[in-house]
Amino acid sequence: MIKVEALTKKYGDFTAAEDINFEVHAGEIFGLLGPNGAGKSTTINCISGLMVPSEGEVYINQHAVTGDAIQAKASLGLVPQDLALYEDLNGAENLNFWAQAYGLSGQFMQQRIDEVLQQVGLAARAKDRVSTYSGGMKRRLNFACGILHQPKALLLDEPTVGVDPQSREHLLGAVEQLKAQGTAVLYTTHYMEEAERLCDRIGIIDHGKIIAVGSVDELRSQMGEKDLITLQGDFSGVEPDWLAAHVAGFELIEWQPQTVRFMAEQAAEQLSAILGRFATGTVKQTAVQQANLESLFIKLTGRELRD
Amino acid sequence: MSSQRMPITVAGLRLKRLVREKWGLISWLAIPTIIVFLMSLIAGTGSGKLTGKLLITDHDESAVSQLLAGSFNQGPLAEIFTAKQVTEDEGRQLMDAGEASAWITIDAGFGEAFMNNQPGQLRLVKNPAQSILPQMVETSMQLLVDAATYIQILFAEELAVLKPMLETQKFDDANLVALTLGIKQQLERLESTLFPPQLKLIEKQVAEVEETSTNITFGLLMFPGAIIMALIFSANSLAVLIWDDAGNGVIPRLAATPKALQAYSTGQFLGAAAVFTFLTTVLATLGGLYFALPWWQIPAIIVWLVFAGLVLYAMFVFIALLMPTGKVANITISATTFPLLMLGGSFFPMESMPPWLAGIGQFLPNGFLLKGLKDWLLRQEPMMEALWLPAVLGLVMLAAFWLLSRVLVRQLIHKV
Ligand SMILES: Nc1ncnc2c1ncn2[C@@H]1O[C@H](COP(=O)(O)OP(=O)(O)O)[C@@H](O)[C@H]1O
Ligand SMILES: [Mg+2]
Repeated sequence: MIKVEALTKKYGDFTAAEDINFEVHAGEIFGLLGPNGAGKSTTINCISGLMVPSEGEVYINQHAVTGDAIQAKASLGLVPQDLALYEDLNGAENLNFWAQAYGLSGQFMQQRIDEVLQQVGLAARAKDRVSTYSGGMKRRLNFACGILHQPKALLLDEPTVGVDPQSREHLLGAVEQLKAQGTAVLYTTHYMEEAERLCDRIGIIDHGKIIAVGSVDELRSQMGEKDLITLQGDFSGVEPDWLAAHVAGFELIEWQPQTVRFMAEQAAEQLSAILGRFATGTVKQTAVQQANLESLFIKLTGRELRD
Repeated sequence: MSSQRMPITVAGLRLKRLVREKWGLISWLAIPTIIVFLMSLIAGTGSGKLTGKLLITDHDESAVSQLLAGSFNQGPLAEIFTAKQVTEDEGRQLMDAGEASAWITIDAGFGEAFMNNQPGQLRLVKNPAQSILPQMVETSMQLLVDAATYIQILFAEELAVLKPMLETQKFDDANLVALTLGIKQQLERLESTLFPPQLKLIEKQVAEVEETSTNITFGLLMFPGAIIMALIFSANSLAVLIWDDAGNGVIPRLAATPKALQAYSTGQFLGAAAVFTFLTTVLATLGGLYFALPWWQIPAIIVWLVFAGLVLYAMFVFIALLMPTGKVANITISATTFPLLMLGGSFFPMESMPPWLAGIGQFLPNGFLLKGLKDWLLRQEPMMEALWLPAVLGLVMLAAFWLLSRVLVRQLIHKV
């Protein structure tokens, strides 16, 4: 339903997205997981036609976004990262505006407005001005405005940033419902747990490039059976040679004066031996992570997902 | 692909928000009203001694016409007016330059007609920029005409005797005595006659004062320009609101829909048209009543001014969209507003500006739209003649800016 082919977007000399390729099928949620500035919004904006790709092409429901924009956009729903609402109007008025923008009218429009209000749990506040809403309620309304016309393809750009747990539940529930109805959903986030819970497949994006793609299980298996060990402290003058020789399954990720990261098999069992090799006071903090998206991201980039 | 009704919804939402916010609408109505009111107060009372220049062109050069012209050089009128004999061309030039209060033309044959008890004609041209002096000329003329009428009716026989004497410059003693006696008898008869009701009736038959303008005061001169001031204020605020919708994400999101951005642009124009209709209806109706304009002129004024408002709005939207940020757009539009108001005849009527400034003002969009309206409304040029050229220019501007705006609004998404 959504097909991104060799998409590259440059801002002047700076390449914000490079050779991005993926497909999102009907009834599938595809996640783009990456830290701030990774190029998620850039990718979404190229798909929605707000930006023209420097190279590559995007197809929505088989219509090229640059060549056949009107047809492509007709199948598309967009929930932008930044709120796009009239704060001095009430929720129903905003929905009415966006419903008409997508060509809905009459009784069907009214019925859809009522349905999405139910879906995001704002029916009781529909007649209140948006300026009186909490941040989470605004996000829910922003989301509702993008699904009024029942798009076949839906782009969600970090829809849960900064929302309360209740609003997050509403939003994630609504996205799962849309998937069940056959919508192709592209979901960007920098929350690993959200991606793990929601997405059928995930692309990990960093510095404008997709560095790994697969289902959660497939991505986990890229970590092998290894765990990730992170040590904080003062490692100046210490060399990783001993660890490389003695730790089972050792794989160095990062060796910095304050932080040391490496992979190891059965980390819990080896940990006391490892810590014993350092002089007292060298290691101030120890963390062991089992294989997950977070540890995979660190393995792939040497950096944490959250900054 | 967007709903057919979307432009109307967009316009409706715009109006709803303006009404809710109130102060924009109130100030757009209040500022021009107050300015016109103050200006007409100042110009209406005036201070200091009035002196005016009166031009007289005498094509007749008869004894009667000289008598009439001379009356402005005698008595109380001489204190107020300096009368000057001019040729037709001089008279027209001086009036066009605004250098005299009024210009009286006595057509050839006036004296002859007067003597023969026939209708005669005087033409009066008043300076529209002045209110009090031309009014006095008109009143004085009316008095003179009335008095002359009297003489004509009462002394018809005597005039018949006098006429050959004046023409030949030969005064026959016997005839003069008879004349004097006749006048004396008539005057005695007069005392018992109630004449005022007859006066007006006769006056119309004898002499008609053809006016080029009616009751033009400073306030009336300012009134159309003041409505344009309200339009400029509102058009510039409404134009800058486009940037708000870019900043709050609405325009980028509309750009991701199949066609709603066009419907949105149309809706903004509709909303602006509704605001202009409201403002001009209120202001033109108030002004029309205050200045006692003929009722049928008011709808025509409203239509013209709404059109003028849309031309200005399209221009401001175009300027706003050209700018790199909302802030720059705001500053630029505010900066263009002031010279537009000053030169385009909204603060000072062009009639009271130095000619070279008024010359510039006439080429500003608000200037030529205003000038057309005033030529028709106040100078009583035929409506079509006064308005066709500004209408064509305005339409071209409106269409061009409208189309450019539709293209430029797409660029906004890359600027926010
Ligand atoms: N309009 C722009 N001009 C220049 N650089 C930009 C622009 N928009 C985004 N960037 C840069 O491109 C990179 C990717 O940004 P973005 O796609 O917004 O990332 P994300 O959504 O993943 O946080 C960032 O480094 C950002 O600073
Ligand atoms: Mg982003």
